[in-house]
Amino acid sequence: MIDASKTIVVTAIGVVSPYGAGLAALQDGMLAGRCCLASGAELYPGFHGSVAQVLDLPPLLDGHHYSRTDRLATLAARDAVGSLMGSNLLRQSGIVMASTVAGLSEIDPEIARDPAEWYRHGGLSRAASYSVSRVAAAVGEQLGIQGPACTVSVACASGAMAIALAANMLLDDAAPMVLAGGSDALCPFTLSGFNSLQALDPELCRPFDQNRKGLNIGEGAALLALETLEHATRRGAPVLAVLRGWAMNNDASHPTAPHKEGAGLAACIGNALEMAACGVDEVGYVNAHGTGTPLNDIAETHAYENAFANRSTPIPVSSTKSYFGHCLGAAGALEAAITILAMRYGALFPTLRLSEPIESARVDWLKDAVRRVPLPLAMSVSAGFGGSNAALVFGEMQP
Amino acid sequence: MNPKFPVLTGFGSVTPYGPLTGLITAPAPQPRPITAWTTPGLRRAFLVEPFRPAEIVPGVKTRRLDRLSGWALVAASLALRDAGIDLNQVDRSRVAVLFATGFGCVELTEAFFQSAATNGWAGTDPITFPETLGNAPAAHVALFHQLRGPNLTISSKSFAAESAMLQAASLLRHGQADMAIVLAGDTLTQAVYEWYEAAHRLAPACFNHDPVSSAAGFIPGEGVVAMVLEKPGRELSRPYAALGPGCWAAGGDVRANVLQLLDGVRPDFTFCAGNGAPCAATPVTCSARAIVGEDTAIFPAQPIAAGMGEASALFHLLLALSKRPGPGQALLLGTSANGGFAALRMEIQ
Repeated sequence: MIDASKTIVVTAIGVVSPYGAGLAALQDGMLAGRCCLASGAELYPGFHGSVAQVLDLPPLLDGHHYSRTDRLATLAARDAVGSLMGSNLLRQSGIVMASTVAGLSEIDPEIARDPAEWYRHGGLSRAASYSVSRVAAAVGEQLGIQGPACTVSVACASGAMAIALAANMLLDDAAPMVLAGGSDALCPFTLSGFNSLQALDPELCRPFDQNRKGLNIGEGAALLALETLEHATRRGAPVLAVLRGWAMNNDASHPTAPHKEGAGLAACIGNALEMAACGVDEVGYVNAHGTGTPLNDIAETHAYENAFANRSTPIPVSSTKSYFGHCLGAAGALEAAITILAMRYGALFPTLRLSEPIESARVDWLKDAVRRVPLPLAMSVSAGFGGSNAALVFGEMQP
Repeated sequence: MNPKFPVLTGFGSVTPYGPLTGLITAPAPQPRPITAWTTPGLRRAFLVEPFRPAEIVPGVKTRRLDRLSGWALVAASLALRDAGIDLNQVDRSRVAVLFATGFGCVELTEAFFQSAATNGWAGTDPITFPETLGNAPAAHVALFHQLRGPNLTISSKSFAAESAMLQAASLLRHGQADMAIVLAGDTLTQAVYEWYEAAHRLAPACFNHDPVSSAAGFIPGEGVVAMVLEKPGRELSRPYAALGPGCWAAGGDVRANVLQLLDGVRPDFTFCAGNGAPCAATPVTCSARAIVGEDTAIFPAQPIAAGMGEASALFHLLLALSKRPGPGQALLLGTSANGGFAALRMEIQ
């Protein structure tokens, strides 16, 4: 017997991805196996990698300067709330956003030479959008949300952690509904940073392939509307999925590299499954972190081998970063949305360009074509620089 | 004490008072002239004096880190020391780290921009980049102390520290951790200071040697404060306070929300976690008086902490507790210019 006041459900999803605005665009693009990655040479002189961009992003017209991350977030939030705009429920709701880039995209390197001069020439309002807290605040202001608002910044695990924190807030009765997700824009700062670390694949990324060379960066935003089942039932909201379990932890092993055996991630998966009160055989699919970097993908494979060691069949795994790159702080939220899509349509998305998978007897690498199977329970897994891990377990709403 | 409330058992800080364990008993320092960069005249701020972290915390290495990460390492270590915690006796997978910040590792972010300005985006520094990430301080705390619980960095317009405290208490309440180190802080850099100046946010005392006054504006500050929050019941713990329920919001009826939070409890003390000047007429002090009435002792926001912006509440709380208000019910209250608020109930030991 479930306790509806302690069961967290997803009642809406809003997305802006390189496929365009809306969940349907994401779904159609991925079902068609379309890759959004293309040359990003115009982003700065000397950059030769591939990126996935959101085209034709509209401005927010209220006289303030909004960062590209703010605009992506706001568009996705509007997509999520739909007809709730202007409602008391939305006004009382909370918002937990995730971002790593935030307003970095608005800052010019000239700020480092002479900040005061840069501010005098238009930089003052641009710099006001710098703080990551601005992302949640911008969405709140645009949507009239007056509940608790914060932004989490935990590198590439941020998006999933925002969803986990929102779930905790609902258990605490901090708000009747919480919008949770992530947003990050492409910007030279992050591209340059990953390029300097030689973490970028100069061609199209190949997550979990033995010949993988690195990641590609994308941009986008996704938000889930979370509420308790009791609240959703009372207002007659459709339940898209149940957030059955969530967990967060840290490897505490290296500032940037994951634990070689994926010990932290395996423990995180185990904690999330324990909260979900489900066995390893019940999980039908894992949407992996799967960046395509040599270190991440092998560590992550070990994590699945350990976490699902007692499974009777190999665990189906794919990385959907192969479609539109790594969206950094938004990745965990976008992948949570994709995991729910996979459940609702019984469609396991393959990893694109996976021709020679990492050898593993315990992992069933999804490749080549969409696999159609009923999917009552699935996971989304995230990790990031600094050793942080997050795992989300989604289930179907049982009648 | 309410047996269900998490308890605050240790403080550590790196602030203009210096690196300190526990409560702060020294007299408040004055703002000091900025010398780290060339200023167009006298410019003052509440600055952290340089020190060697390894002399405070043996074994800690901070050479390549943003100052914020270095201070977080020191403050967290001092807070654990103050709480009397032997981590060898603790399940480190059950210890969370939550870091509240407004700007994150802005010092190395500026250095990265500098490398881009000098060499172009194709010639930036790979050593610096990972240390520019906002979660680097919390990650270094976890790595140094081998803390494998949830590790979060949180920013919230005006209320990052309060938000981190509430999220930490939530992790404990829901069994996702047994102990949390909550940190809040920011560093002051040329770009940050000059933004405040260009935006006309600075108090007159930033530009002259006058005493800190209640005039409009604020004096920027920097530092990191850490506290240890744990489930009640550990033997030998000597808690400063128990953390009760709390709430924060971007808008709404502040008075109605705080009264609902208080649930009939009349606080003996109200600690103001404001971002304005220290006088009795600051908005948060007025809000506190309007909400809790005349019978409560109000601890106004302290100017030395006010300049830390959205990460300042933990510093304000430490300064208020350092005045040893005595046992009783307390309210930590912050308000923002745009109608937001944060409130936490506490039981002071």
